[in-house]
Amino acid sequence: MIYLTLFWEYFKIGLFTIGGGYAMLPFVTQIVTKHNWMSEQQLIEFIGIAESTPGPFAINLATFVGNVVGSGTSLGVFGGILGSLVATVAVVLPSLIIIIVVTLAFEKFKRNKFVQGALKGIRPVVVGLILSSVLTVAFKVILPDFSFKNLTGSGFDKFNWVSMILIFVFAALSQIRIKGKKIHPIYLILSSAVVGVVVFGVFGIAQ
Amino acid sequence: MYLKKQFDTEMKKQTQKINTSGKVGMWQLFWTFFKTGLFTFGGGQAMISILEEELVAKKKWITTQDMLDMLVIAESTPGVIAVNSATSIGYRMRGVWGAIIATIGVVLPSFVIITALSFFLRWFSGNVWYKAAFAGIQACVTILVVNAFVKMFRQLERGWFSAIILAASFNVALLTDFNVIYLILIGGVLGIVYTLIADAVAKNKNKRLPLESFEAQDDSSSQEDDSEKRQRGNGGGEQ
Repeated sequence: MIYLTLFWEYFKIGLFTIGGGYAMLPFVTQIVTKHNWMSEQQLIEFIGIAESTPGPFAINLATFVGNVVGSGTSLGVFGGILGSLVATVAVVLPSLIIIIVVTLAFEKFKRNKFVQGALKGIRPVVVGLILSSVLTVAFKVILPDFSFKNLTGSGFDKFNWVSMILIFVFAALSQIRIKGKKIHPIYLILSSAVVGVVVFGVFGIAQ
Repeated sequence: MYLKKQFDTEMKKQTQKINTSGKVGMWQLFWTFFKTGLFTFGGGQAMISILEEELVAKKKWITTQDMLDMLVIAESTPGVIAVNSATSIGYRMRGVWGAIIATIGVVLPSFVIITALSFFLRWFSGNVWYKAAFAGIQACVTILVVNAFVKMFRQLERGWFSAIILAASFNVALLTDFNVIYLILIGGVLGIVYTLIADAVAKNKNKRLPLESFEAQDDSSSQEDDSEKRQRGNGGGEQ
């Protein structure tokens, strides 16, 4: 039963990967090639789409993989939807249970001296992780070929100055206050999509 | 001047109160996380900005400090961080069912959009207009992550200890493939060691005034402060 295999494989991924959706990527590649569910080329194409569509990256990818696996069965379209459902539920289920337990424990032992001490050390770690993703995201936008894990000269060849200007524009917009209130991030994202269509699409400025 | 500024931000931190009047509706919980899921792109760090706006600024369900602690839980447990955050907050708001509803809410947009997309994948993957729109979104997402960092950074305790750990975690995460969970474990252990040493030093310094009683006093006085403010806020109708 292919759905059981799909569930089991994604359940394991959901259970064992710490560090967010991108940490899951190598495991997804592994299971997909192991079971011959799709070609690597197809997966790479999916990864590109999963990154640029709304929703957390890993959930998008799970839905995709499930859809492809399920569509291969005799159930056709419904098989695809069922596959998506199976993969998504499987990847979310382990953390759902773990988080409930951890949150419960956290609320209970929040005042404990050791928990407080540990938090004192972990909070800066988490803020440091956010800072590192600030740089990762920013460089991905401005210098698409650059990689922090492979610091060689060729990464600087492509410089996307238009995106850099846009970043400054949105930085300014995000600080504007209208009647004492900042613009809601959702409206910022919506406006950025329009700006992207106008700047990169209508005027065709090179990306 | 500087002191006054610092005092003001301290006051702001204290006055950041949560709305404790009544339970959060299930539908409201679902809708909030549905919106968040719909406007999350990539890894989900931009989501922090949206959650902050929705949960702290608008609905006052939690404080920014709670957000940071929620992120600590989400980062140090397996799974997708965006989903973990939803589960954790949902659980805090309405128990197990709240956790399930919030999780469904944050996952559902992905599910619907990707399933719909799978029917016209060929058209989508080459679409110039979508690529243009996404290039704009990426620039915006960058700033949302920056804002999330600034907000969370402000919640940190000031001092050399936080600064060193932050810098170390930032460098290691950026430049190496070192697993995040080890960073978190090391941070936790160092935090405990630091607290124990700081406690011991403080106890040695003023033996007449044990730290616990000092802390307890401090705690109760700040709580009084809080409730006073809440009362004032209710009576005066500041909004």
